[in-house]
Amino acid sequence: MKIAISYPPIINADGQKAMVSQNRNVQFFKKPTYLLPVIHAQAATWLHDQGYEIYWDDGNAQLKSFENWYRDLLKEKPDVVVFESTTPVMKFYWNLVNRLKGDLPDTIVIMTGYHSMRKPEETLRNSQTDIVLRSNHIDFVLKKLIGHIDSHHNWRESCPIEGLVIRRDEKDLYDTGNFKQIEPLDLSPDVDRKLVGWENYAYENGNFLQTPGTYATSVIRDCMFGKCSFCRYNGPDLTFSMRSVDRSLDEYQRLIEDFGVREIFDDSGVWYRGAEARAFARGIIDRGLHKRGCYFGFNTRFGYLDEETIALLAKANFRFVLVGLEACDEETLNRLNKGYSPDDAEQNLRLYTKYGLFPHLTIMVGYYWQTREQLSTTVNTVSRYMREGLARTLQVTLCTPLDFTPYHLECMDRGVLMTDDYDDFDMSKLIVQTPIPHDEYYTAIREMYGIAFDPKFIATQLYFLLRLRKSDWQFLFTYGTRAIRRVRQHVFNLTKNQGTVATS
Amino acid sequence: MLHKIIEKRDLSPSAYALRLERNQFVFRPGQCVNLGLPGSGVNREYSTYSGTDDPYLEFLIKEVPVGTVSSALRKLEGGMEVELHGPYGSFVLQPEKIGNARFVFIGTGTGIAPFHSFVRSYPGLDYRLICGIRESNERYDAGDYDPERTVFCVSRENWEGYNGRVTDYLLENEVDPACIYYLCGNQKMIYSVYEILRNREVNGDRIFTEAFF
Repeated sequence: MKIAISYPPIINADGQKAMVSQNRNVQFFKKPTYLLPVIHAQAATWLHDQGYEIYWDDGNAQLKSFENWYRDLLKEKPDVVVFESTTPVMKFYWNLVNRLKGDLPDTIVIMTGYHSMRKPEETLRNSQTDIVLRSNHIDFVLKKLIGHIDSHHNWRESCPIEGLVIRRDEKDLYDTGNFKQIEPLDLSPDVDRKLVGWENYAYENGNFLQTPGTYATSVIRDCMFGKCSFCRYNGPDLTFSMRSVDRSLDEYQRLIEDFGVREIFDDSGVWYRGAEARAFARGIIDRGLHKRGCYFGFNTRFGYLDEETIALLAKANFRFVLVGLEACDEETLNRLNKGYSPDDAEQNLRLYTKYGLFPHLTIMVGYYWQTREQLSTTVNTVSRYMREGLARTLQVTLCTPLDFTPYHLECMDRGVLMTDDYDDFDMSKLIVQTPIPHDEYYTAIREMYGIAFDPKFIATQLYFLLRLRKSDWQFLFTYGTRAIRRVRQHVFNLTKNQGTVATS
Repeated sequence: MLHKIIEKRDLSPSAYALRLERNQFVFRPGQCVNLGLPGSGVNREYSTYSGTDDPYLEFLIKEVPVGTVSSALRKLEGGMEVELHGPYGSFVLQPEKIGNARFVFIGTGTGIAPFHSFVRSYPGLDYRLICGIRESNERYDAGDYDPERTVFCVSRENWEGYNGRVTDYLLENEVDPACIYYLCGNQKMIYSVYEILRNREVNGDRIFTEAFF
């Protein structure tokens, strides 16, 4: 059997492509950013190891036009095509699946992803999709499912694998029950780098301070905390699971020694903390990997890393630390279930920067409750953090309810959602009613990104870099250039609707 | 939010119960909170141990020798404050099931905490508790559970009760697929117990898990 794991180039009216970003969010950008879909890559690896032919088909990372991508897919004639869904591209996918089933009627289409897994019947009703996965553990489920399909001609009738909704015919949708990932994550293989064309993802990624960079096979599936209301990694259907430290260290060593990578980022929702984080850092040092000119980075949350751990991580050559600040007022943090106070965030940032880590802050604006005062608190606090050198870079997004997260459900329950057209959920404009005009949130975005051009911020950055080793100057030439380009792009994307949406 | 410590009860060399002023804190049994020292910027999640009608909040904490928060909290004295955020989480009993379903709670070590909160909060609950511990002195607040409904599985000491792990107990005893199962503890136990339950025809929809890490 031939399995295609496919990411079509999706292009909007502005000529921008849908790019997957943090937390599997899809945003439309003109400039590229290519993130390796790690779990799908593990699925591809596992199936390949089992003897199946894999067509790794990321049209974006492979720089294909949509028509070329589609033509190539038809030429391959895969037995199975796997897509990844999320709210803003659902309508595109439904149309695409119907077109594909017209051209390749015998190909089985499997929809994965956080949107369809939480509303599988919707996708099956709106498209000719054959199977929807109700689990985000794509690797574990696909490994079982493909084997079953391969060996059972009547698989639609007999499938015993949990976590699927299968189309039997137009009216009969067969739900195989709830799936929970209760299997050790170590069973899933490391990503086969050659199989997925790792070089295609090695350069255009905002999370890399140096290139070539790559994503590690994630050490945490879902999130250790898993309570933040806006996040996909939240819900009773998800079960936190963790890879062993040694297994991950072995992969880091291979990536450095066999592939020559100069940056490894772990995109787990939240990376190790406590004893595992320290064991990992010690392992890097014991193996001498901290002296190979390779930086390491990860996502974390405030409150998870203490000073001893931070110091050890810095010594092990960790640099890029992506952390969700989200907002700087107590009420918003409480409503989002963030689990820490604004003071905790600042305390953590002081420790990160004390030891030379590069905190990258992600911030959101436009919560349906966010008042002018709360917004102003966030803008002022973020500006201060940047000017004082407590954070190195930032990313601001419009808080968009997506994929039936608790925040999304809350917005629906409260009747504050202004649209039910999934095309409007692309994070390019606010789609919730807010207590102040939307333009004020767009202005706030401009103000926060504007800090990048503030002389005091630039001076603080230069002072910081002067204190570091010579190799860290690469930041100025590679990351700095890309960062400015990305800032301009983000500002364009997130404020292009300024003045056009007056509803509040 | 800051909560004053009422008392600390040492339950074993490695475990203690931290009792805090309630301060009108509202939670659902089984939910967790984040606890930390004020101003430290570091916190950890702990499941609620007390019941919803208790006038205090209590947490069952295992002191991790290399841990950051559990050791620091143990050093605090009565009257001092801890920082608390929450409650969070969905490891709770479904309200419509509480009066008419049979529950099996399976935990290891301090993974018994949410079950203690269930039992204290819902008198008359039809439950069975299977708790894995290494030594018999880890039967924390055993008197709070109905002895007819409770089995402590002791794995590293011979005692008059069941000797072995919770997985051994489950393999040796009947598993009722009609019950609703709640598992709480370390990941390895959860993996193993889940597999046993699935092999005994318990539907995945009837199994709820909370991994301690």
